[in-house]
Amino acid sequence: MNTAMSQEGLEEMLDRAVREVTRQTAGIQLFQSGGSLGEDICTVYVTFNKGFHTSLTLCADTALLVRMAHNIFGGSFNVQEDLEDFSKEYLNVLCGKIARFLKETTSVAVRFSVPRFYRGNYIPQDHRRQFILTYSDDENAGAQLGHHIPCGSE
Amino acid sequence: MAKKVMIVDDSKMIYLQMQNMLADSQEFEVAAYCRSGEEAVEQYDVVMPDVVTMDIIMPGIDGIEAAGAILEKHPQARIVMVSSLAYEDTFDEAKEIGAKGFIDKPFDKESLIKALHEALEQA
Repeated sequence: MNTAMSQEGLEEMLDRAVREVTRQTAGIQLFQSGGSLGEDICTVYVTFNKGFHTSLTLCADTALLVRMAHNIFGGSFNVQEDLEDFSKEYLNVLCGKIARFLKETTSVAVRFSVPRFYRGNYIPQDHRRQFILTYSDDENAGAQLGHHIPCGSE
Repeated sequence: MAKKVMIVDDSKMIYLQMQNMLADSQEFEVAAYCRSGEEAVEQYDVVMPDVVTMDIIMPGIDGIEAAGAILEKHPQARIVMVSSLAYEDTFDEAKEIGAKGFIDKPFDKESLIKALHEALEQA
């Protein structure tokens, strides 16, 4: 995300944020894995627009997002109507955690955009993927967190 | 008499979560839900809530701007900011515009009710 952090340090920080937020908010333990996603997937996308100029995509099996939402909201969650809303809010909370970690590590206060939701896989324009972290839950549903930097950046 | 709460958040999930947390409270009732800062500024005059929970990151005008606009017109308004951006810079920004508190996402029922009480206790 910036030159003050090594890619390795950034990967560790993002990994910690993903695991903590998912466990704290949805009670689901994610494990890093080399697995691939299924066919029914969704992507949420956010850009960091103050402090850092990068973006993140969270591409996940719909089944994982639905399971997380059910754990949080129970019967009041309607998959058709609320999946987009839930996915965006989950990424919002995840980015908040990342922002806190970045502030602790680099002293830079970041802001990020309202997350955007896509059915299927979404690849940000004008950015290239720097690395990807791949996760599975205990039911073999998966998620991939991609870190993207503007084209032309190191 | 229960205090009127206006929830401002672009996420319906957060509204449902807060509504559930306050459902069995005798002290608070959810009087209005707004999905944007613009709507909140308009609705404040209509609802005249006792306390507002205001998300920060929203499409259109963000929660800081919306809270600022409400407080300019209603300096007595009690607004609690709600955000995952929980660090000093955001707290300072919220305090500067006159917000009465801060709720860190994700939150639980206890922290929500505590923040509402603290906001109401402030002059």
